[in-house]
Amino acid sequence: MTVISNVKQSLSTIKGIESQLSILALNSQDPEAQKTFHEIMNMMNDIKKDLQVRVNEMMLEEPQYKGS
Amino acid sequence: MSDWSQIIVRSFIFLFVLFIMTKILGKKQISQISFFEYVSGITIGSIAGEVIMGLDGNIGHGILAIGIFGLVTLSVGFISLKSNSFRDFVEGKGTIFIKDGKIMEDNLKKEKYSTDELTTLLRQKDVFNLADVEFAVLEPTGDISILLKKENRPITPKDLNVKVANDKVPQTVIRDGQIVYDSLASAGKSLKWLTDEIDKLEVTMDNVFYGQVDSYGDLTVDLYDDKMKQPTPQTRPLLMAMLKKCQADMEIFELETESESAKNMYKKNAKKLNDAINTLSPYLSN
Repeated sequence: MTVISNVKQSLSTIKGIESQLSILALNSQDPEAQKTFHEIMNMMNDIKKDLQVRVNEMMLEEPQYKGS
Repeated sequence: MSDWSQIIVRSFIFLFVLFIMTKILGKKQISQISFFEYVSGITIGSIAGEVIMGLDGNIGHGILAIGIFGLVTLSVGFISLKSNSFRDFVEGKGTIFIKDGKIMEDNLKKEKYSTDELTTLLRQKDVFNLADVEFAVLEPTGDISILLKKENRPITPKDLNVKVANDKVPQTVIRDGQIVYDSLASAGKSLKWLTDEIDKLEVTMDNVFYGQVDSYGDLTVDLYDDKMKQPTPQTRPLLMAMLKKCQADMEIFELETESESAKNMYKKNAKKLNDAINTLSPYLSN
């Protein structure tokens, strides 16, 4: 496993977490819980963007990783 | 009509009359909180018994007496809703037995309770040590209500300064294998959602005996087939595990990378994920 594939894996886990949170925010009955889930969901979105940027950087630095 | 057929007829008539009467008087009569309800409860019962067994008695007279007792109890209930002093007179007030940790001997004497009876009442409420009690009051029902001293009260999340998620009432969406559409609607879910969730748990609708939706929209089911392992909702603990894994990954990446900006980015995100874990932990623990 190369570093870039590890980072990519994390990126997709973050995406999974984001969607789970969105489901929870929609399904929760308690407004407080809904708000919290929504906030954390936005936080995950920021992390997702950061990681995406990093993946792109790595691909530019080491073009041989592109396929993995 | 022979005696025993008389008794059968009377029994059924009074069963019906008593049932109607209790329905009209409502739950308050059953709980017998006030003195008045206690008295009328006893009397209505004995009038019915008397008329059923005493065959000389007139059925109409019995029903009349029961009706009067019911009517008076009902009107006393109405008046005491309106007037405070009337309520105090009819329903009685609680008598304070222990105040500031001290027994009120005069009040005990007034209610004709001995110290032993007081300790019996306390023990029935799982209080064995008189020193634990801050305040105790004898309710008009004859029950004792106890306020323990703060240090003897059960600890709550508030005492520990722990943030807990607020729970809403779970809705029973499947009862005895039948879908309850009203609760499904109040949980804000559709029939489609329910069938999807049941599919996700890998059981068939026919096998579900009881199903409840909690405030996070998780479905818990009980199956007819008790030998089968009960599926439990796993989404929230799983999400927590994913968050923790990502947090650990960020820390590893931070150590592995040589680029300074990337190090900072990983560090920042590891911290963010840590915050997220802390914020979500009350909501994601079962």
